[in-house]
Amino acid sequence: MALHVPKAPGFAQMLKDGAKHFSGLEEAVFRNIRACKELSQTTRTAYGPNGMNKMVINHLEKLFVTNDAATILRELEVQHPAAKMIVMASHMQEQEVGDGTNFVLVFAGALLELAEELLRMGLSVSEVIEGYEKACKKTLEILSDCVCSSAKNLHNINEAKSLIRTAVMSKQYGNEDFLANLIAEACVSIFPESGNFNVDNVRVCKILGCGVTASSMLHGMVFKKEAEGDVTSVKEAKIAVFSCPFDCMVTETKGTVLINNAQELMDFSKGEEDLMEANVKAIKEAGATVVVTGGKVADMALHYANKYKLMVVRLNSKWDLRRLCKTVGAVALPKMMAPTPDEMGHCDSVYLTEVGDTQVVVFKHDKEDGVISTVVIRGSTDNLMDDIERAVDDGVNTFKVLVRDKRLVPGGGATEIELAKQITSYGESCPGLDQYSIKKFAEAFEALPRALAENSGVKGSELISKLYSAHHEGNKNMGFDIESDGPAVKDMLEASILDPYLVKYWGIKLATNAAITVLRVDQIIMAKAAGGPKAPKQRGHWDKDGWDEEPDNFETHH
Amino acid sequence: MDAADRCEQIISLLTLSSCLPVSPSLLQPTPVILLKEGTDTSQGIPQLISNINACQVIAEAVRTTLGPRGMDKLMVDSRGKATISNDGATILKLLDVVHPAAKTLVDIARSQDAEVGDGTTSVTLLAAEFLKQLKSYVEEGLHPQTIIRAFRTATNLAVSKIKEIAVSVKKDDKQEQRELLEKCAATALNSKLIAGQKEFFSKMVVDAVMSLEELMSLKMIGIKKVQGGALEESQLVSGVAFKKTFSYAGFEMQPKRYENPKIALLNVELELKAEKDNAEVRVKSVEACGGSIQTSVGAMTDDVLGQCELFEEVQVGGERYNFFKGCPKAKTCTIILRGGAEQFTEETERSLHDAIMIVRRAIKNDSVVAGGGAIEMELSKYLRDYSRTIPGKQQLLIGAYAKALEIIPRQLCDNAGFDATNILNKLRAKHAQGGMWYGVDINNEDIADNFVACVWEPSIVRINALTAASEAACLILSVDETIKNPRSTMDGPPGGAGRGRGRGRPHAH
Repeated sequence: MALHVPKAPGFAQMLKDGAKHFSGLEEAVFRNIRACKELSQTTRTAYGPNGMNKMVINHLEKLFVTNDAATILRELEVQHPAAKMIVMASHMQEQEVGDGTNFVLVFAGALLELAEELLRMGLSVSEVIEGYEKACKKTLEILSDCVCSSAKNLHNINEAKSLIRTAVMSKQYGNEDFLANLIAEACVSIFPESGNFNVDNVRVCKILGCGVTASSMLHGMVFKKEAEGDVTSVKEAKIAVFSCPFDCMVTETKGTVLINNAQELMDFSKGEEDLMEANVKAIKEAGATVVVTGGKVADMALHYANKYKLMVVRLNSKWDLRRLCKTVGAVALPKMMAPTPDEMGHCDSVYLTEVGDTQVVVFKHDKEDGVISTVVIRGSTDNLMDDIERAVDDGVNTFKVLVRDKRLVPGGGATEIELAKQITSYGESCPGLDQYSIKKFAEAFEALPRALAENSGVKGSELISKLYSAHHEGNKNMGFDIESDGPAVKDMLEASILDPYLVKYWGIKLATNAAITVLRVDQIIMAKAAGGPKAPKQRGHWDKDGWDEEPDNFETHH
Repeated sequence: MDAADRCEQIISLLTLSSCLPVSPSLLQPTPVILLKEGTDTSQGIPQLISNINACQVIAEAVRTTLGPRGMDKLMVDSRGKATISNDGATILKLLDVVHPAAKTLVDIARSQDAEVGDGTTSVTLLAAEFLKQLKSYVEEGLHPQTIIRAFRTATNLAVSKIKEIAVSVKKDDKQEQRELLEKCAATALNSKLIAGQKEFFSKMVVDAVMSLEELMSLKMIGIKKVQGGALEESQLVSGVAFKKTFSYAGFEMQPKRYENPKIALLNVELELKAEKDNAEVRVKSVEACGGSIQTSVGAMTDDVLGQCELFEEVQVGGERYNFFKGCPKAKTCTIILRGGAEQFTEETERSLHDAIMIVRRAIKNDSVVAGGGAIEMELSKYLRDYSRTIPGKQQLLIGAYAKALEIIPRQLCDNAGFDATNILNKLRAKHAQGGMWYGVDINNEDIADNFVACVWEPSIVRINALTAASEAACLILSVDETIKNPRSTMDGPPGGAGRGRGRGRPHAH
């Protein structure tokens, strides 16, 4: 495989005119590697707390300012087929654990970069792959030995906070304590005893104005809507939820009403009015004080709602409506009718308030154990708030991962160096040619602390040698001290900079798989792209799987 | 117009220069095409510097509008509509900035507008000045994250200092509160076009806001503009006023004035209901009279009818106006603005909006600080003193923050044509001696105790301005790369030939 594969004479003749075809090490493998390397260079500077943000302007001219690798890649629209594989690996990481996407990219990039060296040295592709696979297997075994602590009680806010802090730190360095506190409160309050945690139950509401530190968290939901009627605040609210418009029923079929005289004409509209009044009255008499509707609110219905002092809130999104049902424990009624007591939800207070100059309706529970909690993000620009939202997402996902697996490994490059150390010695015990690639695999781990150091303006090599010496003395938890000025190390367990075990586990696994897949390709055949106008792209995104299929999960925070 | 034009030119220049294409490696005969064709990327310190420069250009555009002696800008948009304004947010909105980093400044101006309604120029200036002071440090290779940390510390210190020294006025004392509100409104109006009538308007604005209910919904203050007449002829109606629209035949016979009328608010036409409600909403701000909007003509009972003391129809300028005055549950009011040119009344409306917002904020947060650069000088002194107590790079950076704060009094002087250096020297000396509230005295080309001179601002305005400006500066500093995807159009790039890698490469072998 490593040698040049002779082609059938006139291979190109067999293809349609304009098709492209590349094969062999030089043409296919190295070029693929180079593309992936370039991609990981882009995201590498965004790695870690001191990572820089990227300004990405997508094809719709929307501006993103972020250091979240998943977002950068999503908006970049990577075209290169091999680079796409790495992007996909990072997407898988996003779906699997929701954090550590940049880890996958940087690690896969390092693996490929080192693979190139091996190939140039004369190793065959298959030997490199074999070595990588072996090393990966061994790494995952060793990884469980690196576990340094585990979350004891996720219902404890302080403990949850210290665990979420590391994830938030890499996104919002400087605000991590404040944000981690909010996220921890939000997560813990909706984390039921049964241990079933749903990421979707932590909502985010972004309101422009003030500063990040004015963000807050509350039990219940916040909607950027105004109350429709005159009533703007209800305590101890009984909530009737309708998925239909708050209007009289319209029949599906068209009918003709024949009106014979003036009396009938008057009675016709009067009958409509009476019916509406009776309807609204029935809702009121059932005990409801707040009406939430998924559709339009008719003037007539609003009039009677005002008359009977019902607060009317209109929600446009059916997802919002469903979540609200969950929050207040109501059943959405498909038809305007009086709800039974069971069908009505309860909420301690529902009120209209002004945050900045945005009017919001708040459904608030006083008690802690609500079903849904909301983090209200304030910030001076939309981009900033979007970035904080991503930090909140990462924090919540970290919590979710910890619910699944409570084990933790030290962060700040400590785990990577420990793995590198152990894999190197493992490699040396292997007799075959794969020894080289196993050792390179170990070397690839150095890319992560190196990125951390370089992003902080510290010499990478200096730090890595310090880390190695600390680890050889048996201090497994020594990692990079980001607070210090130079290449200093400190105990990550004591500094409570910990990453969930699963994040690392999947990160290593997915990155290795992606790198191997890229390496395995030795031939690329591209058909000529069809001419003519391009078919309209669906949401402008090539990676349809996963992004579109779960609108519920993806569109969580809008 | 000149300024705006020039600015747009510079901005478009900046946009082009800041998006350098990926430099192809010399070793490679064909570059690896990683991203879609047409995607621009640029990276590193030069990118950061270019972003900072772009922000300076934006700040230049609004710089001269700050303060009572600030000049106005006349902008003409693509449809030829002229706008005169010295409101930072309005100017930036109309500039239509395309540079991604500079857009951040527009965003914070918007945010300041949303949160407090005034101080949009100062927030832009502050952010740009922060960046300007930091530029040299970035060029020297100081890590942006270090700068960001120092700035966050400095902002927290400054905000807690404002909270510490702000003077709060007791809410219980109605008289005192009113005075406070009027002074805040006057300070806000001072820098606007209608500064000459600030006493007149500040009183009107405070009256208007005081008549609202607790939620103080801005919608409950209607502003109607009637061309003609003098500014002083503007009036506040405690109730609803609107231009007379359509009325039925026979209306002219009716009296034009009712005392204590009962009002039926109809959403439909006052006639036999036809098959379709094609009715016009003729009475808009109905809540004032305490009546519910009636959609049906039936069920007209006493409790749904509204009341007010006086209804009359009056000639205002060229229009007939209907007034509903003295409503018992009046939680609304209408300001009728008079004035010459359309642009003039529009700018007046914006100014009043700012003043109204300030008053609302001042009611919610009853602490004030002195304006006219006094608070900035005090913070600057405080931070400079603080910076001397700490070692390391943070000292320099917090010092830079302190220096940047001086831009506000400096610009006030510049706009008024004073010798800024001289005045700032005097101010620094005075503040060092403990004259906490000394700021620029615009009227006498000197310094004065602005707290005594009643140049007051709600402290929330300054807190928000500092937070927003430093957040924006940090955001811009934290960006080291811009990646721009080509704008997707419906027909896509011409042909498909350019897609994929190895474009145009002759087939080897």
